[in-house]
Amino acid sequence: MSDRARASVTVTGVVQGVGFRPFVYRTAVGNDLGGWVKNTGDAGVEIRLEGGREGVESFLDRLHTDPPPLARVETVDVTWGEPVGEREFEIVASSDGGGGSGTIPPDTAMCDACLEDMRDPDSRYHGYWATSCVDCGPRYTVIRSLPYDRPTTSMDAFPMCEDCRAEYEEPADRRYHAQTIACPNCGPSLELLDADGNRLAGDERAIEAACDRLTEGDLVAIKGIGGAHLACDATDPAVVERLRERTGRPEKPFAVMAPDIESVEAFASVTTAERDALTDTRRPIVLLEADGDQPWLEAVSPGLHTVGVMLPYAGLHHLLFDHVEGPLVMTSANMPGAPMATTTEGILDDLGGVVEAALVHDREIVARCDDSVVRFADGQRRFVRRSRGWVPQPVPRWPAVDSAGTDLPDSGSADPPDVLALGAEFDATVALTHGEHVYPSQYIGDVDSPETLSYLTETVEHLQELLGIDPDVVACDRHPDFLTTEQAERYADRDGLAGPIAVQHHHAHAASLLAEHERQRAIIVAADGTGYGPDGTIWGGEVLDARLDDYDRVGGLAPFRLPGGSAAVESPARILADLLDDPDRIDDLLVERGVVDRPSDAATIRAQVDREVNSPVTTSTGRALDAVSALLGVCSERTYEGEPAMKLESVAAGGDPIDMPVPRTTVEGRRAVDVAALVRRLDKIRDDHARTDLAATAQAVLARGLADVAIEAATDRGVDAVGFTGGVAYNDAISRAIHERVADAGLAWLGHERLPPGDGGIAVGQVAVATARQR
Amino acid sequence: MSDTDEEVITEAHGAGGGQMRELIEELAVSRFEDGAADVPLAALDDGSVQRLANGGGSLVVTTDSHVVKPQFFRGGDIGRLAVSGTVNDLAMMGATEPIALTCSLIVEAGTPVETVERVMESMGETSEEAGAPITTGDTKVMGSGDIDTIAINTTGVGVVPQGSHVPDAGLSTGDKLIVTGTIGDHGISLLSEREGFDFEGDLESDVAPVNDLVATAMDAGEVTAMKDPTRGGLATSLNEMASKAEVGIEIDETAIPISGAVASAGEVLGIEPLNVANEGKVVMGVESDDADAVLAAIQAHPQGEDAAIVGEVVADHAGRVILDTGFGNRYLSEPEGEQLPRIC
Ligand SMILES: [Fe+3]
Ligand SMILES: [Mg+2]
Ligand SMILES: [Zn+2]
Ligand SMILES: [Zn+2]
Repeated sequence: MSDRARASVTVTGVVQGVGFRPFVYRTAVGNDLGGWVKNTGDAGVEIRLEGGREGVESFLDRLHTDPPPLARVETVDVTWGEPVGEREFEIVASSDGGGGSGTIPPDTAMCDACLEDMRDPDSRYHGYWATSCVDCGPRYTVIRSLPYDRPTTSMDAFPMCEDCRAEYEEPADRRYHAQTIACPNCGPSLELLDADGNRLAGDERAIEAACDRLTEGDLVAIKGIGGAHLACDATDPAVVERLRERTGRPEKPFAVMAPDIESVEAFASVTTAERDALTDTRRPIVLLEADGDQPWLEAVSPGLHTVGVMLPYAGLHHLLFDHVEGPLVMTSANMPGAPMATTTEGILDDLGGVVEAALVHDREIVARCDDSVVRFADGQRRFVRRSRGWVPQPVPRWPAVDSAGTDLPDSGSADPPDVLALGAEFDATVALTHGEHVYPSQYIGDVDSPETLSYLTETVEHLQELLGIDPDVVACDRHPDFLTTEQAERYADRDGLAGPIAVQHHHAHAASLLAEHERQRAIIVAADGTGYGPDGTIWGGEVLDARLDDYDRVGGLAPFRLPGGSAAVESPARILADLLDDPDRIDDLLVERGVVDRPSDAATIRAQVDREVNSPVTTSTGRALDAVSALLGVCSERTYEGEPAMKLESVAAGGDPIDMPVPRTTVEGRRAVDVAALVRRLDKIRDDHARTDLAATAQAVLARGLADVAIEAATDRGVDAVGFTGGVAYNDAISRAIHERVADAGLAWLGHERLPPGDGGIAVGQVAVATARQR
Repeated sequence: MSDTDEEVITEAHGAGGGQMRELIEELAVSRFEDGAADVPLAALDDGSVQRLANGGGSLVVTTDSHVVKPQFFRGGDIGRLAVSGTVNDLAMMGATEPIALTCSLIVEAGTPVETVERVMESMGETSEEAGAPITTGDTKVMGSGDIDTIAINTTGVGVVPQGSHVPDAGLSTGDKLIVTGTIGDHGISLLSEREGFDFEGDLESDVAPVNDLVATAMDAGEVTAMKDPTRGGLATSLNEMASKAEVGIEIDETAIPISGAVASAGEVLGIEPLNVANEGKVVMGVESDDADAVLAAIQAHPQGEDAAIVGEVVADHAGRVILDTGFGNRYLSEPEGEQLPRIC
């Protein structure tokens, strides 16, 4: 018999609301230890252990090696003491009372143990789609308010049966205090409806019947965790085409869900990092390189070399793949401009004309939460959308510093004022702060319709309620026409918030990158589609000497014009009317690319540029790439955000850059890459090179140019780090090229991994700037 | 600092949108005491309304300065514009029978007398057409280059029975919105002519006095609010009406009358006809029950054959205008100065 020992253990990290105490209980009991565990007021956990020394040590090992999926153990502090004879182990109520937890976990995929239960013919959970435990299942999407407890979730509509209650109250059980516990006897149920809402089948039979529909080539709406999907057989181009027609999305890539990693590898290549992301319990959509041999992929992801893939995360999804081979298209169920449907009525009202059937359940979705999307660029995981699985987990709110880069003395008073940031307008997320934390919201979408605006305001209210935040200041973009800017003014007027603090778009992008790296200053390349510049022009290819509270614009792309304003965004061939210089060539291209029917109208567009009529000036990298895309005949009509540049990247992926110097110029004393000169050179050599190589060249020259401008600025100004942010940072080739050049110059590199480089990261950047300016 | 602007008047301030409104409120409204008018300066309506003593009705006053390039354009000239603009502003308050107009000219030295003569001729003709006598005036000459050829200020007065004026803010839930004809003609035509753009199809300014048309409409039913969508276009007028009445407006985009020539020129230039000026059109709120009768009366008028019901007033989303595009809803925002693309 080994000697007895007693240990006092304090654990910090993400350890509350993630099933940590039941894990501690089970592990302690498994090691025959007595003692207790409780949550502490500062989000940690305190543990007393008493028993055999080996048991205590094995317990401490497992803290590190085997914590619950969502937990993140940061520090474990152990003090050894004299045994006092404690033999029983118990979970002690936290000092703030109640079994509820003060933090809200995100939604996670069904865990392996629950999956096993669902597969086990002897389990009472056999075949039950809504099985979950303390380690898994819906959270953020079902919680109405704190503390997180069954009555404050949408599970309150399903009183526990005796069996469930027994497990819920049994500390040794995996479902001890699992607020979403449910079984076929007491939990939510499924049914399959036709497009008019008539019931076709129920429960287990509903899944089978839905799968029959999918196999037959029908479109089926599926209500899931954070909202509904539109599903169909991904391998049948005719069905996918029908989905495109009915939803008005002629080209937009659709995500697919495949039953397991092996079946993914049949149509896409998967790196180790991508495999980890796919199988992560947060289950994002991962953009993978598609396997060109699969003919059906072109219909799913037209003109792109990538395909968005996710693995099943809800029990429902696993059960679907018992009856269909997959892969299935699983795209958010919404009409363009409207948020994803979350209710049966919403599905039938919005999409009754799209689908043949709807597989729905009766558990209310409290908070809509779209699937997260990630892409690996330059080897780094970039969030395209940081949403389900991550929200509402906070990111650190970097303490304010002054522009000289030194920490300001602590004022001694309480926390800095809490900020509500509304983000940009398209691909918006909002963010709220609470003390040292920033809580970025789920993906909200393009805030230009009443439906998305109310989604935004609901999200603000829900987060405020859940997190107990009462913001003092509101921040927004500087674009005067953004609806989010107007909404910020309304918050300021109505709720008496200070501000709005209007933050320049690319400064916000840069600040989010600084915040992510806990940096005070860096030279940052902010390359994206559109952002309002304080000079009234449209920025988007900026090299900034960025501090948290301010910035200098030190270089970037040379300006060019967008003839027709927004029309040039929709039809990027218009931009060639400014970038090219041969009138006949321009007129030919504008007619060829379908911008106008008559050469005389093309001449009018040229005249429009000369006369500077509705031809705003821009330095946008996205627009420069779009223009090249149109020049090379890759994509001349944008039907979804980023399309021309994304398709250019896909073409470029099959080519190699031609050796071409970066055309440089100076604009108002700033170093600049001459976009027009680049485009004219590409046009001149168009007949001598493959389109793939020309596309790769355009990307390489822009990347090298921006990198050079940044490196030179860093050298001039004695700054030791260069970063890259903005939507162009999703581009793998451009990311790699800039990074490589910066590394060669011996400078530190800052890239995004925790926050979206695109406009989904703007709100956190606005928070960083507002925080710095509040000091 | 790299992130601050010096405050100067910009052309965006003159574009007729929110920036101009803010400037006026800040610079002028806050400094002028305008008593207890029924429609005061602060309402920023088309004109002011003040009760006359002894129940003698209410006095409507409006004033407008006109500058336009070119001064003579397809469908009109600065003289016709100067009279129509002021007559129409009176009409928008319900004063469809103007009592008198003033004419204040500022002319650039070196301008041919013949030019001024043609403008005066046109003003005379238009004032007769509108039944609006020009009864007083003033003339100033400025140095060559200090002004571009000619500027004209006109002020108009009219009288309406007390309480019967039509404010911008008069909309209430259920009202229908009527536009009296095709939208965007003046702005697109003038721009094309000024810049020398060549389009197929007939582009012509719609500049005209609309007081008779408005009188016809008001006789046919209850008109609750009116604006003439000049600078900033229909989009700006609708937004102003929605925010002043604190109601929502829903517009069926496909119902808005737009001529083929304006639509295709707008497409080539990337310019939204809803955002450009009209000089002979009205957007009005009409009580729901009267909408068909008012529409029929307008359509029977020679200036109103293209009139259409384009939307209605709703209780939701107060202060905002929703455009049903046929593919979903989006907000119709008012152009703030020069329009900048918003999409990424
Ligand atoms: Fe951006
Ligand atoms: Mg009025
Ligand atoms: Zn589980
Ligand atoms: Zn049960």
